[in-house]
Amino acid sequence: MLEFLIQNNIVCHAVEAMLFASIACAILSVIITQVQISSIGFTMAHAAFAGAAVGMFLSLNPTVCSIVAGIGVAFLIGPLSDKARLSPDTSLGLLFGICMAVAIFFIAYMQTLGRGFSTMGLLFGDVISLYREEIYLLVVICIVAVAFVLVLYKEITAIIFNKRIAESVGIRVKPVYYAMLFMIALTVSLCLPIIGGLLLYVWLVIPAAIALQFCNRLSSMFVVAPAVAAVVSVSGALIGLEYSLPVAPLTAIIFSVVFIVAVILSPRRRVTFRKT
Amino acid sequence: MTPPDPIIRLEDVYTAYEGADRPTLTDVSLAIEKGEFVVIGGPNGAGKTTLLETINGMLPITHGAATVCGQDVRKNGVQVRCRVGYLLQSFAFDPLTPFTVEEVVLMGRFGTIGLFRKPKKGDYEAVQDALSLLGIEDLAARPIGKLSGGQQQKVLMAQNLARNPEVLLLDEPFSNLDMFAREEINRLLADLVGNGMTVLIVSHAFDDLPERPVRVVVMQEGTIVVNRECSPGEVEQVVRNAGREALHA
Repeated sequence: MLEFLIQNNIVCHAVEAMLFASIACAILSVIITQVQISSIGFTMAHAAFAGAAVGMFLSLNPTVCSIVAGIGVAFLIGPLSDKARLSPDTSLGLLFGICMAVAIFFIAYMQTLGRGFSTMGLLFGDVISLYREEIYLLVVICIVAVAFVLVLYKEITAIIFNKRIAESVGIRVKPVYYAMLFMIALTVSLCLPIIGGLLLYVWLVIPAAIALQFCNRLSSMFVVAPAVAAVVSVSGALIGLEYSLPVAPLTAIIFSVVFIVAVILSPRRRVTFRKT
Repeated sequence: MTPPDPIIRLEDVYTAYEGADRPTLTDVSLAIEKGEFVVIGGPNGAGKTTLLETINGMLPITHGAATVCGQDVRKNGVQVRCRVGYLLQSFAFDPLTPFTVEEVVLMGRFGTIGLFRKPKKGDYEAVQDALSLLGIEDLAARPIGKLSGGQQQKVLMAQNLARNPEVLLLDEPFSNLDMFAREEINRLLADLVGNGMTVLIVSHAFDDLPERPVRVVVMQEGTIVVNRECSPGEVEQVVRNAGREALHA
C-alpha cells in the first residue's frame, strides 16, 4: 500500500502494520481508559497465549488459535460480569488467571514431551515478519474500529459518561457495552503478533492518556489519540529499522516520552489567574 | 365521559434486586394522574429510589403490573425511559471528564433519537431550550467536571428536560443546591406541572414546595403507608406523622 513512499519491502510492511495497528488500538484506547478497563490488554494477551499453546499442542496454526481464543474470551467478558455480578475489571482479572493457567499448563506439558514452544513472538511481537494478508487484516480491523465508533458514537459516549444515566435516557446499554468489549478484544488479539502482549498495554492506554491532556471533548480525543499514535508508531518503526533497534519497545519508550511532555505542557492542568 | 387513564399505574407491584432474599418493594399500588405533583418521603432505605426506578423500568418487576405513559413497563422499559426523565441521586464528575455541558444535555435525547441515527437541528434546539430553562446557557461550552456540584445538578436536570418528558422523576434534586437555586428549581417545577408535566420528587427538604395541591406518598420498609393529597405546607407534618406511627406500631 505504501510502496510508492517506501521502496524497501520489509520497512514498508513494518510501517504499514504499525500504522494500522496503532490507529485501531488508539481509537479503542479512548474507550478503554474512559470505561477504566485497561486490564483487557493483559487478559487478551494471555487468552492469545493460551490459544497459541493449545494450537501448538494440537498441531494447529498457533496464530489462528490465538485469535479464536481471543474472540472466545471476548464473548465471555460481558456476560461473565453480569451473571457473576462482578465488575468488568474483576471479570478480566479472573479470565486473565484462567488463560494464564491454561497457557502455562500446555507450555510446561509440551516441554516435558520434548516439544519446544517459543513465546517470544507473542510476548514482544515481531513487526518485520508479517505476511501481506496479516497487514490486510489490520487494515480491515482499523476500518471496522473507526466504523464501530462512528456508527455507535452516541451510545458509546453516553456509556462512557455514565452507564446508569445512559440507561435512564433510553439507551440499550447492555448490547452496546458487550459490543464495545468484543471490538476491543478482537483488535487486541489481531494486534498481538505485531506489538506483543507485554507492550500492547502501551498502545491501549497512552494514546488516550496523551489526548486527555489537551482535549475537553471526547470527540477530539477520538481524533487526537489515533493521530498521535500513528505519528509515534511510524516514527518508532522507521527509527528502529534504520538503526537496528527493537521496534515495539522503542515505540513504547517514545510514547512514554511524549506522554511526559504532554503532562508538562497540558493546558488542562494549568492554573491561570490574571488580576485585571 | 370516562376519566383518562392515570399516567402512572402500579398494581400490586413487587420488585427485588438480583440475589436479594426478599423484595425491596412489596405490594405497591399507586395511580397518578397527568399533571400531578407528587412528593415521596420516608426514612433512608424505605424504597423511595427503588420506587422511581421501578416506574421507569430500570429495575425488574417480579410480580404485579405497571403501566407508565400507556406503556407496559415490564415489556417496554426502553420506550418508557424515552418518555420519562430521571434525575439520579447525587453525582460528582471528575475535573478531567471530557464532556462539555452541551454534550451532556444532548445525551438526554439519545434514546429518542434512536440507534444508528445522528442528532438533528431540532435536537440541538431542544438542548438550547433546556439550558435556557435552567438559566445555564453561558455554561454550554464548559467541561462538566469543572463546574460546582449545584451547577452539575442543573446540567443533569437540563439533560432530562431536553427530551420533553411526560413524567419527571427527581431523586433528591436539591441535595447540592443553594437556597437561591432551590427557589429557582421550585419555580421551574411549578411551571412544568402547570403545563401538564407529572413530577415525582424524592426529597427530605419540604420547604419551598410549589404553591399547588401536592400528593404525598410516604414509604416504610418497601411499602406505601400514606398516599393522600394535601397542601404544600402540610407535607412535612404528614411525613413526620407517618414516621411516628411506624415507630410506635
